[in-house]
Amino acid sequence: MGIQEVQNQSQAPAYQKKKKAGRAEGFQESFLQNLKNRDRAKQADTAVETEAKQAVADTQTEVKTKVDKVGMGRIGTAPGIRVNAAAMQKTLQAVEVRHMSYEESDHVRIAVTEGYTLKGKREEGEEARVYVEAKYEDGRVEAYQVDMAKVTGQTAHVIEQFALETMQEA
Amino acid sequence: MEQKWGFLVEEYRAMLYRIAFSNMKNRADAEDAVQEAFLRYMKEEKPIQNKEHEKAWLIRTTIHICLDILKSGWYQKTVPWNESFENAAKHIYLPYQVRDDETLEAVLRLPVHYRNPIYLFYYEDYTIHEIAVILNEKEGTIKTRLRRGREEVKKILTEGRP
Repeated sequence: MGIQEVQNQSQAPAYQKKKKAGRAEGFQESFLQNLKNRDRAKQADTAVETEAKQAVADTQTEVKTKVDKVGMGRIGTAPGIRVNAAAMQKTLQAVEVRHMSYEESDHVRIAVTEGYTLKGKREEGEEARVYVEAKYEDGRVEAYQVDMAKVTGQTAHVIEQFALETMQEA
Repeated sequence: MEQKWGFLVEEYRAMLYRIAFSNMKNRADAEDAVQEAFLRYMKEEKPIQNKEHEKAWLIRTTIHICLDILKSGWYQKTVPWNESFENAAKHIYLPYQVRDDETLEAVLRLPVHYRNPIYLFYYEDYTIHEIAVILNEKEGTIKTRLRRGREEVKKILTEGRP
């Protein structure tokens, strides 16, 4: 048997392009359906994601509101410096810590369950001012000077409330 | 010399008594512990470097004496006479007004490894660094004990048990 004859024998049979009835239409339909389903799923995912983002934003706002109300332990960070957010308040001014002892203080609040202690002393001078030193469970110590002329009796701010108590004790 | 000891005792007696009482919850035993701490200080041969070292040494020794008494077989077989644990906080005369006796009672009921850091931090106004030196622990350990101890105090106050 010659080479030519062998080649002819091993030649693969030509592909028969037989079109099965209805098969292509079915595929097209399911493909379109899949596309539609995918779009729906994407829309649902987006809705869930938006909802979750909204929930997180709400929680953050709530926490922020609570922190604003209490106003304690807020440390704002800026590049290279640490700024006490409480200092932004009109009535409070962050001052240098004097490491005042309990004996020297006019008023002391020990909040074991909240994790802080407060020491207050009425400042001498014409203007009514109270020095408040806060020590937190993580070791931070912060000091504030409270301008009592600007503090209202109905304040919800812990440091301001404590300053009012200190004024009464002093 | 006698005058020096007199000043020393006068300066630290009240504070050491409060610390001893927070451990012993018994006036007589607390006074014994403080007395023993002063005696050991007088017999101490190593030089005390400065005031802070002196204070830390006395507090640490007082706590160790208290723990030794509490561990002793004699103490475990006996009960204090005419002393009620429920009113323990009333025997601690702090140099400032504490309005919350309930919380102090809860602190006194804590296990010793939480009680001493919490008592020293909140009621004696020591810093975390000072407490770490006094109790010979790392600062991180003290921070953890303060946090966990606070949770325990909350449990005692809400559920009535540590």
